[in-house]
Amino acid sequence: MATLPQLIEEDIQSLDETLREFLAQTDATVALILDKGGFLLTHQGEAGELDLTTLGALASGAFMASQTLAGLVKECDFNHTVLQGAQYSLCTMNVDEQCLLVVVFPSPTGIGVVKYYSAAAIRRLARQLALARARDPEGGLDLSELNIANPEELFRKKPA
Amino acid sequence: MAIINQATKELQVKIVYYGPAMGGKTTNLVQVHDHVQTAAGNKGKLVSLATSSDRTLFFDFLPIEAMTIKGFKTKFQLYTVPGQVIYNTTRQLVLRGVDGIVFVADSQYEKMPENVESFQNLVDNLNSLKIHLAEVPYVLQYNKRDLPNVAPVEYLDFLLNNREVQVPSFGGTAHKCEGVFESLNMITRMLLQKFISQSVPQYA
Repeated sequence: MATLPQLIEEDIQSLDETLREFLAQTDATVALILDKGGFLLTHQGEAGELDLTTLGALASGAFMASQTLAGLVKECDFNHTVLQGAQYSLCTMNVDEQCLLVVVFPSPTGIGVVKYYSAAAIRRLARQLALARARDPEGGLDLSELNIANPEELFRKKPA
Repeated sequence: MAIINQATKELQVKIVYYGPAMGGKTTNLVQVHDHVQTAAGNKGKLVSLATSSDRTLFFDFLPIEAMTIKGFKTKFQLYTVPGQVIYNTTRQLVLRGVDGIVFVADSQYEKMPENVESFQNLVDNLNSLKIHLAEVPYVLQYNKRDLPNVAPVEYLDFLLNNREVQVPSFGGTAHKCEGVFESLNMITRMLLQKFISQSVPQYA
């Protein structure tokens, strides 16, 4: 049995479709789905010059830290964080045990709209992610052709 | 845990540098960032969430792309944890989703208690995430070998690598980039070996 979680084309299409609808409803700039370990799974919207890999790692870390803080003050109903800026704001929301939805939106839009439309979007995202996890992972990535003894294929140091 | 994205043809892997405070974890990432040979765009920015005195507060983060396997880009995310004892909750957060670990020990004699304590802390934090150390590929890097008061490698092995199955260990002088790539390449090999043994061939 393959043990690496996988997302196939169908999963990404469904997740992207949900994100596109959500962006259209909210006029948000960009929406990302993250694994809580910090991996970016997919995104939609106008990322422009945004470094989404770093944004994902930081947003995930910040959310998990806030969740721990909430636990310290015995707050068990913690499911989102909002960073409000002058031009853009950022909302990170819990999707399920493994994943987060991060939304970057113009501050005048207001968090209310984002929160309102996120409820249905999160349900759809969670449903698709659950399907992906439950799917029989027959299509494991076969790495057997990789010659791991060959250092040329790994990280190389620049010559001095 | 590593993620395969069949749609974007990406394999994403998380490696965490763990160890006692001031042991050289951040220096490892800085050296990888400064010296790795990559194609344009395959190396991200090194992000450090540090205090004003350059001590790691939350984590350092370096995204880097290494190789293509069967058309899949392998994207590595390298993290460090804060070594200071008070930041244990942060270390637990950074360990979430870890695939492989480079434990960076300080070779100086007087740092042995901290090395042992940090290693035990790693085991405890993995346990809190319901992960057993034996399930996670890891390597040991005995850093600061250029200092005069270092313990012999055999002694470090006795303290930190004295289990049923010994893991690869490397002497290092991270600020001179010695042992840095050796450790990174070994943990990468071990990770890929683990994935190979887990993966099922795909039959069309």
